[in-house]
Amino acid sequence: MRVQTLPAAATKQASILAGDWLLFAVSGLLVALLVWGLIGFALARWRRTRASDEPPQFRNNYPLEIAWTAVPLIFVCVLFFFGYRAEASVDALGARPDVVVHVDAYRWGWQFRYEGGPVVGGSAGSPVLGSAAAPPPQLVLPLGETTRIELTSSDVTHSFWVPDFYFKRDAIPGQVSSFDLQPDRLGIFPGRCAQFCGLDHALMTFTVRVVAPARFAVWRREAGAR
Amino acid sequence: MTIGRRLFISSGVFAVAIAVGYWLVAHEITGTFLLGFLAFALSVIAGYMIVAERKADLWGDRGDATMAEAANQVIGTYSIRSPLPFWSALAITSIALGLVISPTLAVLGFLAALGLGAAFIVQSR
Amino acid sequence: MSALAESRVSPAARSDLLSWITTTDHKRIGILYLSTSLVYFAVAGALALAIRTQLARPGNTLVTPHTYAQLFTLHGTAMIFLFVAPFALGLANFLIPLQIGAPDMAFPRLNATSYWLFLFGGLVVFSGAATNEGAAAAGWTSYVPLSAIKVSTGLGQDLWIVGVFLVSVATILTAVNFVTTIFIYRAPGMTMWRIPIFTWEMVATSLLIFMAFPSLAADLLLLFVDRRLGGHAFDPAAGGNVVLWQHLFWFFGHPEVYVMILPYFGVISEIVPVFSRKPIFGYTGLVLAAFAIAGLSMGVWAHHMFTTGAVNNPFFSFLSFLIAVPTGVKFFNWIATMWRGSISFETPMLFAIGFLLNFLLGGVTGVMIASPAVDYMAHDSYFVVAHFHYVLGGGSLFAIFAALFFWWPKMFGVKLDETLGKWCFWLLFVGFNVTFLPMHLMGLEGMPRRVFTYPDTGRLAELNAIATFGSYVMLAGVALFVWNVVLSTARGEPVGDDPWGANSLEWATSSPPPEHNFDRIPPIRSERPVYDLRRSGGRAP
Repeated sequence: MRVQTLPAAATKQASILAGDWLLFAVSGLLVALLVWGLIGFALARWRRTRASDEPPQFRNNYPLEIAWTAVPLIFVCVLFFFGYRAEASVDALGARPDVVVHVDAYRWGWQFRYEGGPVVGGSAGSPVLGSAAAPPPQLVLPLGETTRIELTSSDVTHSFWVPDFYFKRDAIPGQVSSFDLQPDRLGIFPGRCAQFCGLDHALMTFTVRVVAPARFAVWRREAGAR
Repeated sequence: MTIGRRLFISSGVFAVAIAVGYWLVAHEITGTFLLGFLAFALSVIAGYMIVAERKADLWGDRGDATMAEAANQVIGTYSIRSPLPFWSALAITSIALGLVISPTLAVLGFLAALGLGAAFIVQSR
Repeated sequence: MSALAESRVSPAARSDLLSWITTTDHKRIGILYLSTSLVYFAVAGALALAIRTQLARPGNTLVTPHTYAQLFTLHGTAMIFLFVAPFALGLANFLIPLQIGAPDMAFPRLNATSYWLFLFGGLVVFSGAATNEGAAAAGWTSYVPLSAIKVSTGLGQDLWIVGVFLVSVATILTAVNFVTTIFIYRAPGMTMWRIPIFTWEMVATSLLIFMAFPSLAADLLLLFVDRRLGGHAFDPAAGGNVVLWQHLFWFFGHPEVYVMILPYFGVISEIVPVFSRKPIFGYTGLVLAAFAIAGLSMGVWAHHMFTTGAVNNPFFSFLSFLIAVPTGVKFFNWIATMWRGSISFETPMLFAIGFLLNFLLGGVTGVMIASPAVDYMAHDSYFVVAHFHYVLGGGSLFAIFAALFFWWPKMFGVKLDETLGKWCFWLLFVGFNVTFLPMHLMGLEGMPRRVFTYPDTGRLAELNAIATFGSYVMLAGVALFVWNVVLSTARGEPVGDDPWGANSLEWATSSPPPEHNFDRIPPIRSERPVYDLRRSGGRAP
């Protein structure tokens, strides 16, 4: 049986985060197997055989107790460090992004306003985008170039989540949240809203389409003209 | 009861440390206020515990105390049955519910709570 | 040995309704808490089954989106505020005076008042379902602006605020009672370093309640003022701040999850030594770990807000990682208690072992999402749903069943049936893991939380179907427990003071205890007075 794991990383940022996923999953699994193993061993080895069993009544082992405090402490500090390094590079904003898109989440859909370019998607009051009635709005991005997303909401809190990017950011009314995306794989990737926002929360999907920079320029011109 | 003093003092000190650390790292006012106020509240309780424990001599704190010491000692009285808790809870619920559905209910609940509060005090005498 | 406080000698226990409504006896109040919280568990469980049935197939139309939102809101609210936490408070109510050798709680009437406030608060929350626009539907976390008056226009949301506020008041008052009782009313010789670990965990839990619940109460008041009295605390258009709700909520919310686990760490610490025939290993370490967890938990709240972009992620991430250390210390202490012991597998021990196996996985995924690097993907997805159900369901719920089977004889004078108990355990253990293990994968496949349906992509349909199947297996386990209760009440054989061969003071009195708790308290010279009594020949001087 094949076990579905994370989708293949589709951005430079996601590749960095993928390293952390691997580190945490493997170390977590090892810790779990160790502790489950200790429990299983103890249960099997020392199950009661005689009703009158009276085992040795020890209650302390100070060196052991210090060890099992100190070693996990070091271990979690190491894990924190690797996570912190990855997070810092993913959250970092580049000096000059190639494309800037203002993303506005609303009940229930998305609007993508390219700076100097087209406006894609709907706005509050539009029919629900992402249902059978209308296809989900598509955020087109150029491969290999840096796109700055400026994210906000015009009503309640939503969240912009692209699973293939291993990334989400909340869209909060009253604040603009910025992050960079640098896609390194062509394709069409699904996007979801990840913060409960009311009735059609489950239906306000979008897609991200990554195309070659030349194609992107063409798309931008044509979409802007429409 | 020295545990009580130590518990609240160490909690208060820890809260101060986290509040200061948080401000230095994050410069974020909401969290700093929450942690700072927490530290303040814990310090108030710690202060009370320090004063209260000066005169405390509990047989529960002495490892060598025997049951005979506690025999026939009255450390307090209480009623083993009382209708007040049920009605007090109902009065408080009425106040809260009244704020949402009917001001009259809230006022009635408040008056009932006053009366019940007096009854609590009388019953304790 | 006379009682330590004056109490009127009462005739044989009256079991009519009036005596239950006017009781101030901590044992009866404890039983009221336990039974009421179990009823709320049944209701919240039924809501969960409705959720799982709706999600069994993609595009299912069993319930409308509005109904679905009420289902998960009430499910979360009831499980957290009306079941897991109050069950622990009820268990502690019953046990604490017995475990420290006191005749009752420090404030018996306040104790009873707290129970009734809890009952009424829960009823108020659910009363929203009878209103025009239905019950609260903004999630148990009730984020603004979703829960603001312009969006959640119905009365149900206000009733939610009032009900949760009442339950918060009840909880704080109960914590006051616990701390006072434990500090002041210990029997002679019962020093703080001899009280059972369960009682220590309740000290730490009470401290957490003091520190956390006022923040929730303030948050609820602010929301109420915003909704009904013209306030704008959370309205960005008028100078308010949306994220403020989250700060105040999670400043409460994170300690709350430790309120929901520390008592159950205590339960495990009572049960494992008895069925391993050894003292608890590392008593001091367990106590220090409890307070380390309590203290650290006050500083991690914004790990629920990593994706807002509005908080200092590394601060909260670092402290969240640190909390794993005292939790690990507890695990190692429990394993060392079993190590070289003489282990038997009665039902309470089975559930305790189930707790250890399940909670470990929940703890490991918790450490994973303590890092924003991982949380950016996992937050608000079914991966997180899996995580918290493993710690609360696989953890707390299993400890709840362990506690029920272990202390049932003390409370009611009969043991629950052992064979039915074992079947109950296996149904719950298998059912629980079949339900929640696939949810990790659902999250990694991109399924968000709080969705009433999902697209038929990848393996989502398959995984959801498996999870729904598991939930029905859990239902069978719970039904078997109910049957066990009915059967044992009708046909159970009475038990003596100490049916399990246990250690702490509650096992030195009859099952159930007399109204004043003890006719005679054995000498207390260690943290295992009943074990010492057995070793010295069984007769108290």
